[in-house]
Amino acid sequence: MPEQGPHRPGELIEFPAADVPAAQIALDELDLIYAFLYARVGNRADAEDLTQQVAMKAIPRLRAEAAAASIRAYLFATARTALAGFWARKFGLPEDELDDDLAAPAAAASPWPETGEAAERVNRILGALPANYRRVLELRFLRGYSLKEVAAETGNTVGGIKVMQLRALRAAAKVDPDA
Amino acid sequence: MPEDDDERRSGRMDRVVRDLLAGKRLKIGPGDARDRDSIRAAAALAGAREPFPRMSQAFRRRLAGRLAPAGEPGLLSRRSALVAGLAAAVGGVTGAGVFRVLDMLKPPLANPHLGSPTVFPAVKWYDAGPLSAFKQDVPVRFQAGAVGSYLVRKGDTVVGLSSVCTHLPCELNWMSSAHQLNCPCHNVTFDTDGFQITGPEAYPLPPLPRLQVRLTPTGRVQVGAT
Repeated sequence: MPEQGPHRPGELIEFPAADVPAAQIALDELDLIYAFLYARVGNRADAEDLTQQVAMKAIPRLRAEAAAASIRAYLFATARTALAGFWARKFGLPEDELDDDLAAPAAAASPWPETGEAAERVNRILGALPANYRRVLELRFLRGYSLKEVAAETGNTVGGIKVMQLRALRAAAKVDPDA
Repeated sequence: MPEDDDERRSGRMDRVVRDLLAGKRLKIGPGDARDRDSIRAAAALAGAREPFPRMSQAFRRRLAGRLAPAGEPGLLSRRSALVAGLAAAVGGVTGAGVFRVLDMLKPPLANPHLGSPTVFPAVKWYDAGPLSAFKQDVPVRFQAGAVGSYLVRKGDTVVGLSSVCTHLPCELNWMSSAHQLNCPCHNVTFDTDGFQITGPEAYPLPPLPRLQVRLTPTGRVQVGAT
């Protein structure tokens, strides 16, 4: 490839060659899909199952000459559908009652695993909560405290913290991290 | 009474939270549908504990095996073939004097650890700045698209190492005083060639995967990734 002047560090300077097969590009994109799913289901085993589901469904359907951008968009669309199906099966509900992941814009879904935006989204959620709820969730999830340790740290009973954790998660679920 | 109801449901919710924090699969059912939004919030919070999650090597291999049509070599084999093909192609270009490949598939001479490093395919190339900006044997953190890396200048070549530990998928930190890359999760350390120095006593770890690196005629370092 002829060099075209100076580049900014980190700048993408060469797109995939036209003869790189779509399936190969898709396989390389699956790390992003995995990260997207992991950030939503919160555990490796379910994220792996869903990633495999996306790969098995999407990759055989790709056109060999598909562009990288459209492959990524297709994979994310498939991932959002798989995720909606996952929650619907778990809760025994129709998918349209759990369609917020389906409605998520593709542009917002694709870049965040590379930039740590998952952590930023969580910070926005926690930042919108009352201080006592935020404290419980920070200690429990981000610092890995047990209920007993949270209770000791905050001067509450274990039972009280357990209920506060439930209420804090309810409040967290109402925050729109993209607002 | 809503308070009584919350007490009952808080126990169930805490079991879900405990499982998530232990890295276990979500064990929920239709009886949890009333708390679905809270459970999904808990899952998102648990997921945020790992800011740059990556597929494990074992899962990658399983996935490649599932994707390979019957009777054909797995995608990993094909991927390796592709990487080798790219290496050959870039090597050919090197002959034409356009690019010089700095660090390719060359395995280290003495490798007391687990095999040779795997190599990421170079689907896209990213500019990492001029070679002159790199100090000898001092890793520089570089994000090549979706792939986090450390670039280490070795003479007039640059080695590209994955920035993710091969033990647990945690981001490595460069500790200049000890001159080693350190995994904050379990205190595993790697040298600037990506080989384990210290870590779990029970078993050795694979070396850090490599990224392909090349140098332009004007002396800029380019990193291949996805």
